[in-house]
Amino acid sequence: MTAVQPRFDAVVHMPPRLQVCGLLAAVDDMDFALVREQVGVSDSVLSKHVKQLEEAGYVTVRKSTRASRVRTNLALTATGRSAFDAHVAELRRITGA
Amino acid sequence: MLSDMESDGGTMDRSAAAAELAALDADRAALAERVVQPWWYDALLGLLVAGFVSSYSTRNSWVILGALVVLLLGLRGLMAVYRRITGMWVNGLRPGPTRRATRVWFVLYAVVLGAAAVFEYGLEIRGAMVVGGVVLGVAIAAISQWWARIYVAELRGEL
Repeated sequence: MTAVQPRFDAVVHMPPRLQVCGLLAAVDDMDFALVREQVGVSDSVLSKHVKQLEEAGYVTVRKSTRASRVRTNLALTATGRSAFDAHVAELRRITGA
Repeated sequence: MLSDMESDGGTMDRSAAAAELAALDADRAALAERVVQPWWYDALLGLLVAGFVSSYSTRNSWVILGALVVLLLGLRGLMAVYRRITGMWVNGLRPGPTRRATRVWFVLYAVVLGAAAVFEYGLEIRGAMVVGGVVLGVAIAAISQWWARIYVAELRGEL
């Protein structure tokens, strides 16, 4: 296993986005509603940050219809996972952890 | 302090970085509270595996094919149920400490299935695949619970 190179990531850095990436890094995918509940922001605020993560290629957004309800699933891409891991490594470097 | 500053436009001091790491840890710990599947999920998983492996004892291709279809549909259903209950999906083969449990499962599956097949088809002992199926059904249920405990401990930062 290769060590993660610490690297500050401006896209991941913003607290709501860092939280979103942190949650998605622990799973394969997660419902938009659960992410919103865990992060504690409104739909519109989360949508805005997810859009930024999506544009950076860090998150994929998948919509599906179940029992006539549209559900939105979020997942971290391989690029997003690498960026998040590098950012966390940078935070650890700063703290000396 | 310059050594605590970062390039690429980002600046952060030690306390801010520590606060962000602590927030990430707290989020993961909160997630750990909701990832564990109910006991009946593992019981159903065990029944599906036991049913499929046992079907080989019938030596009827159609029954085995039917059991395979039931297994695949059942696994798909369990996946949907897990998503509905928890709002997320976690791949059982994910890297990390949970690999211990998946490795044990694959080794056990190969050994028990191989032994049951030798008894059933090699030594002509009818019902050996049923015994193997029951053993594997109980094993997958127990290993699934173990897997979940490792995952929870990982999320809580206890590993």
